[in-house]
This record gives sequence, structure tokens and C-alpha cells, in this order.
Amino acid sequence: MGSRRVAITGLGIVSPLGLDLAKNWENLRAGRSAIGALQCVDGSRVGLKIQNAAQVRDFDPLKHFEGGKDAQLDRFAQFSVVSARAAMKDSGLELTSSLRENAAIVCGSAVGGQAAIEAGFEDLWVNGRGRVHPLTIPKTMANAGASHISMDLGLSGPVYTISTACSSANHAIGQAFRLVRDGQAEMAVTGGAEAFFTVGMLKAWEAMRVISPDTCRPFSKDRRGMILGEGGAMMILEPLDAAKARGARIYAEVCGLGMTSDAHHLTQPAVEGPARAMRSALREAQMAPEEVGYINAHGTGTLGNDPVESRAIREVFGAHADKVGVSSTKSMHGHALGAAGALEAIATILALYKGILPPTVNYLGRDPECDLDYIPNQSREARVGAAISNSFAFGGLNAVVAFRSPEA
Amino acid sequence: MPDAVAEKVIATLASVKRIPAENIKLDTNLQEMGIDSLDVFTLLFELENAFKISIPDDDVRSLKTVNDVVEGIKKLLAAAPPDASVGSTSPAS
Repeated sequence: MGSRRVAITGLGIVSPLGLDLAKNWENLRAGRSAIGALQCVDGSRVGLKIQNAAQVRDFDPLKHFEGGKDAQLDRFAQFSVVSARAAMKDSGLELTSSLRENAAIVCGSAVGGQAAIEAGFEDLWVNGRGRVHPLTIPKTMANAGASHISMDLGLSGPVYTISTACSSANHAIGQAFRLVRDGQAEMAVTGGAEAFFTVGMLKAWEAMRVISPDTCRPFSKDRRGMILGEGGAMMILEPLDAAKARGARIYAEVCGLGMTSDAHHLTQPAVEGPARAMRSALREAQMAPEEVGYINAHGTGTLGNDPVESRAIREVFGAHADKVGVSSTKSMHGHALGAAGALEAIATILALYKGILPPTVNYLGRDPECDLDYIPNQSREARVGAAISNSFAFGGLNAVVAFRSPEA
Repeated sequence: MPDAVAEKVIATLASVKRIPAENIKLDTNLQEMGIDSLDVFTLLFELENAFKISIPDDDVRSLKTVNDVVEGIKKLLAAAPPDASVGSTSPAS
């Protein structure tokens, strides 16, 4: 089996920070948070306590889907297709029939088409109707995003969806990387999408008591929890040699995936599993810890995650941990569950490509248990050669992806 | 001139395909206007709600034009009173 270097040549994103790549980067760089009052859901009837969220605003499906096609896709699948189209266009890759047949699509989504299934339940149990919308099943299925990308772009190689809660997109990106590296695909579309702002889902999150009543302050003193987000982000992977041969812009290389599980607890974070995942990603990337100049942390802003993740980073990087910039961009785009790793991969890739590390915003000051350099509140100019992006999921599933700058 | 049933069918079709109702005539071919099998599911669901009828699966297979849909619905309306279970607001239990 061959082992090829894998380039990232196209990026596409729809997130609370903007409806395209340029707007997302502008806001990440400026440290602007998209967290605001929850407006897309009326939870007053059930006393919804969640007040704030990071919502994708002004997304009009009719601008992207014609002839009533928009109604065939749940919002998460719409995000999938729109961000995949943008990534494809950004790559400048010309799709031949051979390339189409050898193109993989690997997407992450934790909950799939929640809005579709919840509307069906509301019809049955609230509105007393004896039937639900006939597209409820194909809109709800978690693979709908990947399937619609396949149909929309005409890509017919291996297509699948990975659902590992908050690690979904990192698992997906890592699997797509290995398919291209090992010669099982000549290109890949990979990333994640999520859109779960429904009354039922928000009440379920509320019951977990991990949502901040104000905003998301990862690693900061006085942090009060996470803020939920939504969105979609996709990237185009291809063999580095092929990308160079066609003169493509190369944002970065994907060079390693680390996957572990805690085998410990459904929701309680642990040090050992995430630490092993980081080590494993570095090992696959043949990357010394000292090479890493930026870590896009899982950094949920909960009391539990942030000190544990900080300890895990210290354990892996030793003395170098004090020299690594660590930020949680969830402070700006919220926690988009199965899409989180994809939004954060794009932040990480652009950090390498642009030489600017995005900050952790809403940071109020040091928590004694979180003792790393979190790039507080302002982005930082720094040319770094390598970066990793962490995702740790409920269920104790950890996935870390390693990237290298094209100049490294 | 389209009658009330035809007008409702055309309005429903226009809504499902997100096109102006003026573009749809009685002799318009459903396939030619881009109605695929998924659209048919949605269309039937919306028509059942609009007319408070239940459309049997067997009645669906021969539909070619807008007029076929209109005539099919007229037959169903003549054969049976509106189905109270469709679009009802009484609890399912």
C-alpha cells in the first residue's frame, strides 16, 4: 500500500462567523464572537432556559437550491452541500470521470437531521395529526449530508458518515486523510455539519447542566460552561504530488490522526485518553512535540473539560507546553458538536497558512488549573510549522488531527 | 378555466416546486416540470392535507399530467367525505 503526503487544497464553510471562508477568517482573526441571543427557536412554551447560542444567521437555502430542492434537505444537509460546493470551487480541481469515481466523501455529524424528525414528532404528538412528512426519514438520516454532496458534485467513490458526537468531524477528516494517503481515493471531500437548534434538543442540552448562562470563556476564570453552535465546514484533500503538479494552492498538509477512547465514563473527561490521542497523532505525522506551534483545543469552556485538557497537553508536550499557543475558537463559533472539528480544522489550517493564531476570546483571567498560553482575546502573528486540533466526545471518544504548514 | 380543485392542486404544485402558479397548466406534464419521486411524496402529502383526503398508493402510479391529479382528487372527493383523520387537530391517542 502506498503512503502519500496529503494536501488540503480547498476550504468551504458556513458558520456563525460567516457564510463564506473570507468572512470566517476576518472574524476569527479579529477575535469577534458570534455568540448572541438565541432567536431561531421559541422555547417559551416549555420554559427553555438556554438564552444564548452561536447561530448561522442570514442563511437563505433558496439562494442555493432551486425547484423546491431545499425542502428535501434538512438544514444540516444544506450546510453540508453549500460548504462542499465552496470547498470544491476553492480547490480549482477539475473533475474528470476517473477522479469522480475515485473521490471519497467522509463527513461527521453527531445528530443528523434533528429538525426534520422533531417536526414529525410535533405533528404526531402536539398537533394530533395522523401522519408525518414523507421525507422525514431521508431528511433525518445522518448520512444525508454526505449523500447530498455525492449527488450534488457527482462524486461516486466511497461515501460515509461518522457519528462520534463531538469528535465526529475529526474522525471523518482523519479517515479521509488515510483513504487518500493509502491510495484508496484520489481525492476526498471531508468535514462535518450540524444544525440541531430545536426545542427538544436544546431542552436535552439544558438538562445536562453544561450550558453557560452568558457566554463561552474557555480556560478562563469564571467560565460557566459551553455555548452551542451550528454550521458546516468541508475541505478538499488530494495527494500532495498531484496538487503540486497542477499548481494548486496548498493551504496545509494533513499528516496524522490519533484516535483513542477513555473506557472510563460517558461524560466525565479524562487526561489519559486525550493525551494518548495527541501522542498517536504526532506519531503518525512523524512530528516531534517541539514542532507544534499551535493547538486548536477542544476547549468547551466547561468546568470539567478545560483543566483536564490542559493537563493532557502538558503531559504530552512537557516543557514545550509553555511555548505552544493554545486557543479555543469555540469562544467565537460555539460548540457545533459533529461539525466542531471541521470548523476548528479550518481555523487551524488558516492559522498555519496565514501565520496568525486565532485567539480564545471572552477570556477574563487565569484559572490556576489552566496554566497554558491560551492566546487570550487577541490573535497573534506567528509562523508555526505544525499544529494539532483536538476533539474529545461524550462517550470518551478522542480524535486529534495533525497538520503541517506547506512551507514546513 | 381551472375550477376550485384545479386551482388548489396548481397552488400546491407551485409551492412544492417553488415556481409561480402561472407557469402550471392543466396539461403540464409532471415529469417535464421536474417532479421527481421525492416531489411526488411531498405533493401527495400536501394534497392530502389540503383536501382532507387519503390518496391510496395504487391511485398514484398512473399520474402523468396536472389534470390527472385534479381528476383523481375529484373522484376521491366524490366517493367519500373528507377523511377526518387528515389534518385533524384532535389528539392521536
